Amino acid sequence: MQRAYRTPWLVAALVMVVAGCGGGASGDGRLRLTVATFGEFGYDPLFEEYERAHPEVDVVGRVADFDSHHKGLITALAAGNGAADVVAIEEQYMPRLRQSADRFADLARFGADGLRDRWAPWKWAQGVAADGKVVLGLGTDMGGLAMCYRRDLFERAGLPTDRDQVAALWPTWEGYAEVAERFAGRVTDARFTDSVNTVYTAVLNQAEENYFAKADDSFIGATNPNVKRAFDIAGALGAKGHTAKVATFTQPWNVAINQGSFATITCPAWMLTQIKEAGGPAGAGKWDITAIPGGGGNWGGSYLAVPAQGEHQREAYRLAEWLTAPEQQKRLFVDDGILPSEPEVYRDPVVLQHKDPYFGDAPVGRLFAASSDTVRPNYRGVRDADVRPVFGRALGRVEDGAQDVGQAWEQAVREARDVLR
Amino acid sequence: MSVQWDRRITPYLFVSPFFVLFAVFGLYPLLRTGWMSLHRWDLLAGPVRFTGLANYADLLTDPHFYNALANTASIFVVATVPQLAAALGIAALLDRPLRGRTAWHAVVLLPNVVPVVAVALVFTQLFGRDQGFAAWVLSWFGADPVDWQAHAWSAHLGVAIMVNWRWTGYNALLYLAAMQSVPRELHEAAALDGASRLRAFRSVTLPGIRPTLLFTVVVSAIGGLQLFAEPRLFGGGSTAGSAGGNDRQFQTLVMYLYENGFERFDAGYAATISWVLFALCAVLASVNAVLVRRLVGRG
Repeated sequence: MQRAYRTPWLVAALVMVVAGCGGGASGDGRLRLTVATFGEFGYDPLFEEYERAHPEVDVVGRVADFDSHHKGLITALAAGNGAADVVAIEEQYMPRLRQSADRFADLARFGADGLRDRWAPWKWAQGVAADGKVVLGLGTDMGGLAMCYRRDLFERAGLPTDRDQVAALWPTWEGYAEVAERFAGRVTDARFTDSVNTVYTAVLNQAEENYFAKADDSFIGATNPNVKRAFDIAGALGAKGHTAKVATFTQPWNVAINQGSFATITCPAWMLTQIKEAGGPAGAGKWDITAIPGGGGNWGGSYLAVPAQGEHQREAYRLAEWLTAPEQQKRLFVDDGILPSEPEVYRDPVVLQHKDPYFGDAPVGRLFAASSDTVRPNYRGVRDADVRPVFGRALGRVEDGAQDVGQAWEQAVREARDVLR
Repeated sequence: MSVQWDRRITPYLFVSPFFVLFAVFGLYPLLRTGWMSLHRWDLLAGPVRFTGLANYADLLTDPHFYNALANTASIFVVATVPQLAAALGIAALLDRPLRGRTAWHAVVLLPNVVPVVAVALVFTQLFGRDQGFAAWVLSWFGADPVDWQAHAWSAHLGVAIMVNWRWTGYNALLYLAAMQSVPRELHEAAALDGASRLRAFRSVTLPGIRPTLLFTVVVSAIGGLQLFAEPRLFGGGSTAGSAGGNDRQFQTLVMYLYENGFERFDAGYAATISWVLFALCAVLASVNAVLVRRLVGRG
């Protein structure tokens, strides 16, 4: 008889094991909230502060690289399980995720509607769905564009190193390409810029429309002069060997920054932290920041959203609301150079006067924050993410030396049309 | 609960874990992907509409599919032929009186227990264009550094080297176990007949390990068709990486499946690819069985 009792016990044990996998409480009985971000959000000190103010909450950060973060998020959303309580979403992914807004908590339910005036109007508009009735995400940063350059390499190339004089060298992208030629004539052990695609993305993001029409979301990538122009400018740099051929955020890219393998990089505000991380203390004072050719633009910026699968949506929202509040945005800018998306913050004198010692005391407040009011957001089509890599790989083929700019463009247009069928 | 009931049920309970796991992780996904492949199915939004066999028709006219198929076949050949030959050689060497046998066996198996992601990361560094070890070795011979990811041949070779590194030792141990079960009398008889070592290997050892040869070829082929982690990580984190190079020059079938399912969110099309992959595996397994039996049977 003894044996007959074993099966129920086994089942009970199994149930307990399975049940143990779920949960949202940490060992000490505090409520655990996970926050999944990518790259550098600078949140760690903020988590500690939030825990001090809310002793009942245990905030755990999860950081991955850009691709893994978003792929993991989408997989978790599809599976209905596994997403963090608060998730970061980069602006490129917003149009696609807006299509599946039901996978996220409508933050308007928790009162997010009342916060609308915190953000620049376009930043708020990108974070809502259903014509603004549903609030999908709260804006974190934005990606005002500037140009980072290495003073030491410019000096070796006999170019001016003062940031105003450097800016005067390239009022336009054509001017930038000329400086690339001059640089290559004098310096042979470093390239002028990091990769074709970094330049391409920056130029493209200076235009309001790129692959899809703002009016009706139709594909205009093949005919829009903005796309062709960005493709030609970047492609020519690649074809002439002015790029170090390192794709952004990869290991070789970090190594190239560390070793000074390229002299300029189009840098949105959030990239400064990544350059510091890769360059390390030895890179301090070698970099400087100046205006980008073609005048301003926005590349990237993110949102915090609350997946509907979470068990503690209200608490998660409170945390997200606090993380994106003006006081925290200001602190993130001063500490980590993460550009605020809220007018109250980017017009703050402390922010405007802020300088970054790592970049030779460059006036980052003036360079980035001051242009925030003039930022023109890009229109992203619903299928933007399907088309973007096609053009990215085309420029990669130019950089690899496999095709010339014309061939790469033709193949890209063909592939883009195939993808959109 | 009576003792009788317990006696009758318990054996089934003991074997049930396999069947339960197979049903949950094998059969259910198989049927569900089959169902998904008959739809226009969005990864997040779910089924959009029933399309019948339209996905299959699209796939059969999709040039990227054939490109991925050709890449998969090419990497399989570059990886498997030298791998199995080397494994046979290593097994033959180990099949002799050796000092520290167990240590040798462990060493041979070591690459296989290293997680594939670690292997891929290390090899991708070795094959780095600017600072790679491979570039340094090539420079001894006056050769220019190779941009391994940029060309089809070099990328296939690089991925194949990773696969070989991981599986040669494993296959060698399988061969070794098989060789040790070949009756010693046969070897002795061959030696008495004056057969050379090579002749004995061909006429005694190879026929003796025929089932194992068959097994390794089939398993390598199926593994080769499912190749994903090595080429995916070889491509790095850029836009080129996810598509297996800027011109898809090392995109394998599973990478193409992944691109459709998780980058374009086209779960229906991805399910179609996985069913075609399943059919290919089944066909390959049967063809392999016939071929290997014939080839080895002649020896």
